[in-house]
Amino acid sequence: MSTTDTSSSVARGTLRLVSRETQVKEWLLASVFFACAFVAVLAVALIFAFVGWKAWPIFSEVGISEFLFGRVWASSEELYGILPLIQGSFVVTLGALVIGTPLAVGTAVFLSEIASPGVRAVVRPAVELLAGIPSVVYGFFGVVVVRPIVGDLTGGIGFGPLTAWVILAIMIVPTIAALSEDALRSIPMGIREASYAMGATTWQTIRKVVVPAAKIGIIDAIILGMGRAIGETMAVLMLVGNAPQFFAGIGQPISTLTSQIVMDMGYSTGTHRTALFGMAAILFLISMGLVLTVRLVSRLRD
Amino acid sequence: MTGSTTLLPIAEQAAEGFQRANPGTHVLVSGLGSSAGIEAVITGTSDIGTSSRDLKPGEADHGLVDIPVAYDGIAVIVNPANPVDGLSLEQLRAIYAGEITNWREVGGEDRAINLVNRDEASGTREAFKKIVMGEDAHFDRSAVVLPGTGQVRDVVARSRGAIGYISVGFVGPRFTSTRVKALKIDGVVPSEDTVASREYPIARTLHFFTRGHVGALAGRYVAYVLSDEVQDGVVVDAGFVPVSARGRP
Repeated sequence: MSTTDTSSSVARGTLRLVSRETQVKEWLLASVFFACAFVAVLAVALIFAFVGWKAWPIFSEVGISEFLFGRVWASSEELYGILPLIQGSFVVTLGALVIGTPLAVGTAVFLSEIASPGVRAVVRPAVELLAGIPSVVYGFFGVVVVRPIVGDLTGGIGFGPLTAWVILAIMIVPTIAALSEDALRSIPMGIREASYAMGATTWQTIRKVVVPAAKIGIIDAIILGMGRAIGETMAVLMLVGNAPQFFAGIGQPISTLTSQIVMDMGYSTGTHRTALFGMAAILFLISMGLVLTVRLVSRLRD
Repeated sequence: MTGSTTLLPIAEQAAEGFQRANPGTHVLVSGLGSSAGIEAVITGTSDIGTSSRDLKPGEADHGLVDIPVAYDGIAVIVNPANPVDGLSLEQLRAIYAGEITNWREVGGEDRAINLVNRDEASGTREAFKKIVMGEDAHFDRSAVVLPGTGQVRDVVARSRGAIGYISVGFVGPRFTSTRVKALKIDGVVPSEDTVASREYPIARTLHFFTRGHVGALAGRYVAYVLSDEVQDGVVVDAGFVPVSARGRP
């Protein structure tokens, strides 16, 4: 075959099929794409350096343990303890995961294993659309619709973890569902056929065969969903009540790292401002930890 | 002119209007705080010092001229369904300090009090803290913190146990259909009249201070700020009570 001959000749570099001009073009394009990737890396490095540089004084002036484990956040009294805020961030995130994960994994299983192509054509874009709704719209919906219901249930105003959980759970569904569905679809059809051939029902196949096989991919999806939830700012700011106290009940206001940064950044000066950068650095480290965890988990699969 | 951040919206918008009406003039406005404003007019750094507090004894003997430009009154609001009509200043302080936590303790129904506070950047919070809480008391940290007057008003209008505070000018339904009830404080209803007459306790006068004789330009600017155009426009829009309210029937 003549095509096989030429391609192997090209690979050996013995036959030049492309002009000099094309080679330059190819080289230029490769450089452009390299530059694009480099900008992303540079941006991460610059932001990390900037946040770290701005945050440094809080660790040297207030002290790492005073800052990380201080129990009172009151900038007007110059108390910069972020333990209640760290707790708030994790309370909000973990609660949203508890509600959102079954919802999202269930959606993924339905889309990958059960839905007919016609149904999938409707459900899938709907789930993807959830990811495109601006977070301020979620927040507004939460304030107007969810907050009064939570207020009646808990006997408060309705600002607090429960309201944030419900809204954040919906917000992380598209992330977890899309990645989980990819993981489920990557399981070879033969495995399912073998299961059915043994006389297993659809439910038995999903529970005993497909989901366990896609387990690591689903765990990846959940960790990335966690990253989405812990970094979410606007909707959380509108729903948690922004009271920098420790968790006092699902209907009592709390505050988070992200929402407190936004509340305070407009007017903060001096140590207060460096404390906000310190909180940003902590958030940065948390998301970096999550990404690294995903890498490690993925390596387990390979 | 230098001084109070509370007065900044009035001073800045009036300055813009003044410069439009008098081309070629330039009014420099900066907000550094009331004490800095008074200091600046005493030392002569500024022609006008703006302040959200009265003069302290040490500042009073420099012969400054006091020109009240607006009144700032803070109304304490609750849900219209709340049977409580009034509180004493002391009860209000105890509520915001977290010492009184149930409406029953102030003569209302058996229901938890849901505190609504403003963010620390808010001038209204600063004034409320100064007048109601005083030096020693701290706000209860479990209070919901909302970043705007409109949000405080909206949440209180929809939640039966909530209590909040906003400028007197925003109590009436100016932009929304929701209703809130302003409480009497020490038996006085908050209104333009009671704020202007200082009968209502959670109120303060916003001042311009000048030295005995001011330049012609500064004098014209002060007159412009006191004119109906600014008083009924900028001052009312910012939620303050115009000085002309004093002596209105």
